[in-house]
Amino acid sequence: MLQGVGVAPFKSTSEWLPSILEQQHMMGTTIMAVEFDGGVVLGADSRTTTGAYIANRVSDKITPLAERIYCCRSGSAADTQAISDYVRYYLSIHELDLDDWPLVKTAASICRELCYSNKDRLLAGMICAGWDPHYGGQVYTIPLGGTMVRQPYSIGGSGSTYIYGFCDAHFQKGMSREQCIEFTKKAIALAMTRDGSSGGVIRLVVVEESGVSREMIAGQDLPSISAE
Amino acid sequence: MGDSILTYNGGCVLAMAGKNCVAIAADRRFGVQQTTIGTDTTRIFKINDRLMLGLTGLRTDVITLYHRFVQRLNLYRLREEREIKPASFSNMVASTLYSRRFAPYFVEPVVAGLTEKGEPYLCAQDLLGAPLFAQDFVVSGTCAESLYGTSETFWKPDLSPAELFEVTSQSLLAAVDRDCLSGWGAVVHIITLDGIETKFLKARMD
Repeated sequence: MLQGVGVAPFKSTSEWLPSILEQQHMMGTTIMAVEFDGGVVLGADSRTTTGAYIANRVSDKITPLAERIYCCRSGSAADTQAISDYVRYYLSIHELDLDDWPLVKTAASICRELCYSNKDRLLAGMICAGWDPHYGGQVYTIPLGGTMVRQPYSIGGSGSTYIYGFCDAHFQKGMSREQCIEFTKKAIALAMTRDGSSGGVIRLVVVEESGVSREMIAGQDLPSISAE
Repeated sequence: MGDSILTYNGGCVLAMAGKNCVAIAADRRFGVQQTTIGTDTTRIFKINDRLMLGLTGLRTDVITLYHRFVQRLNLYRLREEREIKPASFSNMVASTLYSRRFAPYFVEPVVAGLTEKGEPYLCAQDLLGAPLFAQDFVVSGTCAESLYGTSETFWKPDLSPAELFEVTSQSLLAAVDRDCLSGWGAVVHIITLDGIETKFLKARMD
């Protein structure tokens, strides 16, 4: 049995450091992506938290991986930023080799490889979506363990649990670009109302062959929820 | 996020003093950790026309304590044949909390009122009944630190009731907008010698 004067009374910093210094920046979040004929709509809220404190209320969780490929990030802010930086780097080199628009499936696969191989150390749920000339608009979801699944639409983050019913009831195959935008806005607004970890503004990104457009919907312009 | 029983339901209260008036304000959220369940909760209770009590913390204890105080106040009125003074009520709250020193009520109360002469009285307590008396403002709840920051910035002495309403509202809204567990509506009560005026604020519902 080791006995000495220099034995520390605490086993880890979490015992004496105030919790705000210990806690990671998390993106308890609502993220979403919907595919339409010719492109995708990506949507997200804008809240980043450190514990219960809102560290950033206007964060941008929709990050570009390539010119026509974006990803929505949820989970640890640091982990998802690192992953998307790596994916952007590998994808840019691949694009030079390919000399063509990179496939969305390629971007999602690189993302998946990073998430799966490091699954014991990462806390990252990502939705990779975009457009390529071969397969058009596509949405791939990569949840916590590193699975990759293509879906017509995908929701993620802590706020998504509140909108599964709404999305199941309101999603239809073959919706137009405008219908997809409205669907995304309403779903995220509903999640922001119920989930403490989601809020701020709704960020929307529409990716299609002709280009990428960004929109921000702030508080007063949020779609109204009738239950108030 | 789920580390303390005091933050389980969320919510906050702020009380400020002006010239012969006090304002007491709170958010209206009721949640279970991150999930928001209600947006019309009352955490400020009227004691009499010059005294109000705000209770933050575990919702079940807030409700239980409110009923307990109603019971004790009714008995007080019957025995004393008068309304209770703010300082005496504050003491009643503190001793009720301390009576549960080793199995506490998980609430952090704020007492706000006017003395007979019309002077503001503010008192905040921790869950064991330790009182903090202030001449400017007192805060309580999950975003207490943020409330300290905004109140310190906006408060100044001798505010009129209209100015006090504005300062209290802005301090509360700015603080709850940085807290995941507070918000979803807000209410402000302004207590003057003429009575209590209640206003609901239009707040962010996220």
